[in-house]
Amino acid sequence: MILGVALAVFGAAVPAFGSPYLMGVVFQVAMWIALAQSWSMLSATTGYLSLGHAVFYGVGAYVCVLLTGTIPFELALLAAAAAAALFAALVGMPVLRVRGPYFVILTYGLSELVRHVVMRIESALGSFGRMIFDVPATEVLLWWMVGLAVLATLGAYAIRHSRFGAGLAAIREDEVAAETVGVPVTRLKLLAFIASAAIPGAVGGLALLRTSYFEPAQAFDPVISFTIVTMALVGGTETVRGPILGAVGFALLSELLWSSLPQLYMIVLGVTLIAFILFVPRGLSGLVGRIGRAG
Amino acid sequence: MTVPMLSVTGLRAAYGPVQVLFDVDFDVAAGSVTTLIGANGAGKTTIMKSVAGLVSATGGTIRFEGRDITRTASHDRVDAGLCLIPEGRLVFPGMTVEQNLRLGAIAPRARAGHSGMLQEVFRRFPRLEERRAQQAGLMSGGEQQMLALGRGLMARPRLILMDEPTLGLAPVMVKQVFETIEELRTAGFTILLAEQNARVALELADRAYLLENGRVALSGPGSDLLGSPEVRRAYLGM
Repeated sequence: MILGVALAVFGAAVPAFGSPYLMGVVFQVAMWIALAQSWSMLSATTGYLSLGHAVFYGVGAYVCVLLTGTIPFELALLAAAAAAALFAALVGMPVLRVRGPYFVILTYGLSELVRHVVMRIESALGSFGRMIFDVPATEVLLWWMVGLAVLATLGAYAIRHSRFGAGLAAIREDEVAAETVGVPVTRLKLLAFIASAAIPGAVGGLALLRTSYFEPAQAFDPVISFTIVTMALVGGTETVRGPILGAVGFALLSELLWSSLPQLYMIVLGVTLIAFILFVPRGLSGLVGRIGRAG
Repeated sequence: MTVPMLSVTGLRAAYGPVQVLFDVDFDVAAGSVTTLIGANGAGKTTIMKSVAGLVSATGGTIRFEGRDITRTASHDRVDAGLCLIPEGRLVFPGMTVEQNLRLGAIAPRARAGHSGMLQEVFRRFPRLEERRAQQAGLMSGGEQQMLALGRGLMARPRLILMDEPTLGLAPVMVKQVFETIEELRTAGFTILLAEQNARVALELADRAYLLENGRVALSGPGSDLLGSPEVRRAYLGM
């Protein structure tokens, strides 16, 4: 099933080479799949809802813009992923000590903090946005992004079907009980945090190469975090296909709205989230499962 | 005399500025049932959590099979063969009985041959096998206690810490829990039991410790404490 979905994304990318517009759409869809799937590695498994994943995206973009021109872009993307993972490893210990709403607020606050620090640094350096020249061809970027979406999906699948994932599920159910049965709670949470940060770092780097412009307020935009959470929740957090359904649905919806009613985008995002939490708590994935069983 | 399986000396513990345990000493001999009795707030649960590693000791030492584990992480203590059945049972409510049991064997040492262990737990608690696909949170208190115990056994412990296993259970279930403890002792497990139900606990115990305000007030064979006027007056209502 998972491979099928992954291949479908892959397959969808092939005919896209015809039209630049379609390539753009597929790039966006793959990007959100990669982000939502990475987010689910921590938040869907442990129930620690991160509202600050934009920070990893931003760190990746920043590292990538600093490195671009000095090393091949493939290496810059690897460095972006490594930097995001390293950042998660450094902040993970203190951040993962708090749970529930405190964790949500703390991750959001942390992301905003880093955004403002980077904005300060950049303006102190006299830089108001950095342009990049000599970016790779759009097809190459597209392949990379699709690759990341597939990688994130396989990663999320592997985690859920491993002992690591069983331990994370135990943490979600009852952290104290998890500790009493011998789950290394602190270590597993940190590993999940790092795993969920790496790919968004590379995604941030790729998105930067695509726009060929870096501006901290944009790279660390909290709307990225909100969108990830919305997509994952709308798609459903109980299965690996959930984030894919949410990302595809939302990315396509936003394409429609951007072209017709751009000012409504955020409103629709909010209304959809509320509607799903109230009426479809198990998300699109649960809905699909139900229809599948009924039919 | 042989080395006790668990040896606690000078144990101190605190929640923030509030000290709860004051130089607690006790031993648990291999193959025995040792009981901690005392009123609410005497420190029974804190001792259990300290021994399991969920609360870090601020002083003293905890030795398990001769090895100092005072600073060992809780998951490494489980792997070493020491398992807590927590107060309030704490089953994983959204998971099935079988998923709960399998998680009990997550420690590296328990992983190998955990299917065999699952059969053994089902043999000991046939009720759990009947309910293996049932969501744990929907079971009765007595069944959840059985599940918590079965989940603990999955870790292949040598020392089982049972914290208030009869809390909130119907009398018929209380009786069953104590029968199970007897069976486990016969099967060779060593048990440290914290109980408010002093009479039954003392009847069962090879050795007992009476706790008052975070200190050991009295200790001796279970039958001795059962006969002590102090215990009879304060804890048995006689």
